[in-house]
Amino acid sequence: MAGKPKPDAKKTSKVLKKGLHQRKHKKWTTVRFRRPETKVLSRKPKYARTSVAGKTRLDKFSTFLQPLATEKALKIIETFNTLVFLVDPHADKKQIKKYAEQLYNIKVTKVNTLIRPDGKKKAFIKISPEYEGVDIANKIGII
Amino acid sequence: MVKVKASELRKKDQDQLKKQVEDLKTELSTLKVAKVAGGAPAKLAKIKVVRKSIATALTVIHEKKLTQVRLDSKGKKYQPLDVRGKRTRAIRRRLTKKQENKLVLRVLKRKQNFPQRRFAVAK
Repeated sequence: MAGKPKPDAKKTSKVLKKGLHQRKHKKWTTVRFRRPETKVLSRKPKYARTSVAGKTRLDKFSTFLQPLATEKALKIIETFNTLVFLVDPHADKKQIKKYAEQLYNIKVTKVNTLIRPDGKKKAFIKISPEYEGVDIANKIGII
Repeated sequence: MVKVKASELRKKDQDQLKKQVEDLKTELSTLKVAKVAGGAPAKLAKIKVVRKSIATALTVIHEKKLTQVRLDSKGKKYQPLDVRGKRTRAIRRRLTKKQENKLVLRVLKRKQNFPQRRFAVAK
């Protein structure tokens, strides 16, 4: 049986003096102490809080409340090829554009919106010149 | 127009119900346009009926989803909160019957081994 290797005398003396696990102190190079990044676990819920997901609040049908058929609105349809709608106040221009194209089979160039003094949102939906504003309005039933 | 009946809707499946809701919503939008453009009173009266039909259809959709969830989570330790039953806030926070009647082992053994005796005196 070969003899056990002799333990390093220097090492043993260090261990005896300072302990087996010597914590190395990290050098701080800044004045501030910033919280180190720790492990963040993602959620793994054991049960759903609500069993059935609620319906989305603003879908294509609920964005458009009604079209406007006032004298001014009709004039806008004729001259500027633009439809005028009252729209849900939470709807944004991108939504309005997307849903208008889906619902009325048109191509929308741009949407301008304003919020009326009575709190409702008015949307001016400009249609691309390949469609006639008056025709579309007739199809929808505004005129 | 006759209001859509919930009993009829319950026979349909989810996709058919979704389609029904979409159809009703498109109808609603045309009726709303008619309202603005001065439509016939028949059309205007229809608005309420269509709105209620949409509500019943959505209710049935939700009902069906919930029954499915109840079936899936039956007997499981953790159920979704709305499946557990609403009861009242105070009742939910009470101790369960099991928790209330729980005894320390020492007491349990004592009760088992030395139950309350009943004697009758013979005449």
